[in-house]
Amino acid sequence: MPRTLLDIFPNPLIAVGIGITAVMTVLSVNTLFCIWFERKVSAWIQLRMGPMEVGFHGTMQTVADMVKLLGKQLVTPKGIDKPLYHLAPIVVFAPVVAAASLMPFSESVAITNTNIGLVLVFMFGGFASIGIFMGGWGSNNKYALLGAMRSVAQNISYEIPLILSSLSVVLLVGAMGREFAVDGGVIQANGMNLAHITGVQAQRGVWFLLLQPLAFIIFFIAVLAETNRAPFDIPEAESELIAGFHTEYSGMRFGLFFFAEFSNMFIGAMVATILFLGGWDGPVLPGPAWFFLKTYFLVFCMMWIRWTYPRLRFDQLMTFAWGILVPLSILNLLITAFLVKVF
Amino acid sequence: MSYVGSILSGFWSLLNGLGITARHFGRKNVTLTYPHEKPELSGEFRSLISLIQLPELGTHDCVACLQCEKICPSYCIKIEGGKVEGMKRKRASKFEVDFALCSLCGLCIDVCPTDTLEYSKLYDEAGYEREWVFDLLDPFESLEEEFREKQREVDAKVAAEKAKKKAAALQAKAEAEAAAAQDSPTSGGEVQS
Repeated sequence: MPRTLLDIFPNPLIAVGIGITAVMTVLSVNTLFCIWFERKVSAWIQLRMGPMEVGFHGTMQTVADMVKLLGKQLVTPKGIDKPLYHLAPIVVFAPVVAAASLMPFSESVAITNTNIGLVLVFMFGGFASIGIFMGGWGSNNKYALLGAMRSVAQNISYEIPLILSSLSVVLLVGAMGREFAVDGGVIQANGMNLAHITGVQAQRGVWFLLLQPLAFIIFFIAVLAETNRAPFDIPEAESELIAGFHTEYSGMRFGLFFFAEFSNMFIGAMVATILFLGGWDGPVLPGPAWFFLKTYFLVFCMMWIRWTYPRLRFDQLMTFAWGILVPLSILNLLITAFLVKVF
Repeated sequence: MSYVGSILSGFWSLLNGLGITARHFGRKNVTLTYPHEKPELSGEFRSLISLIQLPELGTHDCVACLQCEKICPSYCIKIEGGKVEGMKRKRASKFEVDFALCSLCGLCIDVCPTDTLEYSKLYDEAGYEREWVFDLLDPFESLEEEFREKQREVDAKVAAEKAKKKAAALQAKAEAEAAAAQDSPTSGGEVQS
């Protein structure tokens, strides 16, 4: 099992400092890369070139954009709910850092390793919708409020298939990890421990994508909706709501929302990698390389989907969640539970 | 359609959509990195006028006839020029066009007697002022001296040849007259009478 930073550095303050620094660095670089990559993917799909001017093939474009955002004036609108308005970007962004620190990206070292990692990730994911609603409610703008309400409705609806589909993986981990070899001993694998989920897949030599294809598809769709990505980006539907919940945010406050969105995407892809694609498991290359390759493949798929499909209407979105995803994921969970009990 | 059937057919059409966008990844771009690459323009492209560098002269052939200035409906051409020392041909010394007024009608090109005007391929010209005057002779300035010297030589040669010919013709005439006088002195006398 991966050694955590607390095992390596006995002083918790040093461990926390190093952990936060590492996570923030990875998330920042990831966001800068993802924004550039998203623009490139959209350009390739639309037979354009995308950013080409700043740096090699426009790689420094997002750095320039970030500098621009940092230099912008922070406009505070009249009649806002001050505490909510100012807290919202932080409430959206902070859980992202916490969630990212839970990811076991390698078989040897991790930042943290808890026995309830999966629950924590979903909890921190749920935080984002609170922050979005705070922002929408606090900014005294009807578009922001509408966007925030949509976001909350959507997040609550899609959280159910998200968790149900990952529960079937948890059941499998419990069943397949009865003799889970860890640090020389053999234990019962914990289905909520992200490192155990990956470890079981690595030891049994099978990724849960092959055993649970339906759960993977449902999980991936739900992640798209949870991170407010197209085709589920109705909380920030430009044609209807200007910019949705972050209409009244400018400069780096908006930058934090943007940062959080791309980091959420990254975390969603990481969780999907851990649950279904075997995390660090893979031949030849070292563990972290496999982990990030798989993650970025999923991120690429998210972008590919975004630039392929049109946005859903709100009632279609709800029908899709409650009429298709929830029944299918319950069915999948029941069948998995039955099969786990039988075999 | 049944519940399951609609899910499956919907999923299939979604995969088709992804396939279509995936096929676009490898395709050639349709856009250009504009300021670095410029599009190839049609030969019929009509833009602001410019002077042609004629291959036989090595420079333009504006003789300052002022026909274009006269026909221009927008009054945007101003030409100065005239005789050059030692040269037969007249030369323009100033060919100013105010492109802010030009309507690209092309009458000047049609009327030019030496066919030294053409449509340029300039399409991304912009300025910060209302005045937008170019002297079309500017790009030819460095060529002008060389051309004039050459032309003077050519003109001198032509003139010399002409003088020679004239002299030869005169001589021939004189000789012929002399011969005629020798052959029939009477006829000469008749002429005189």
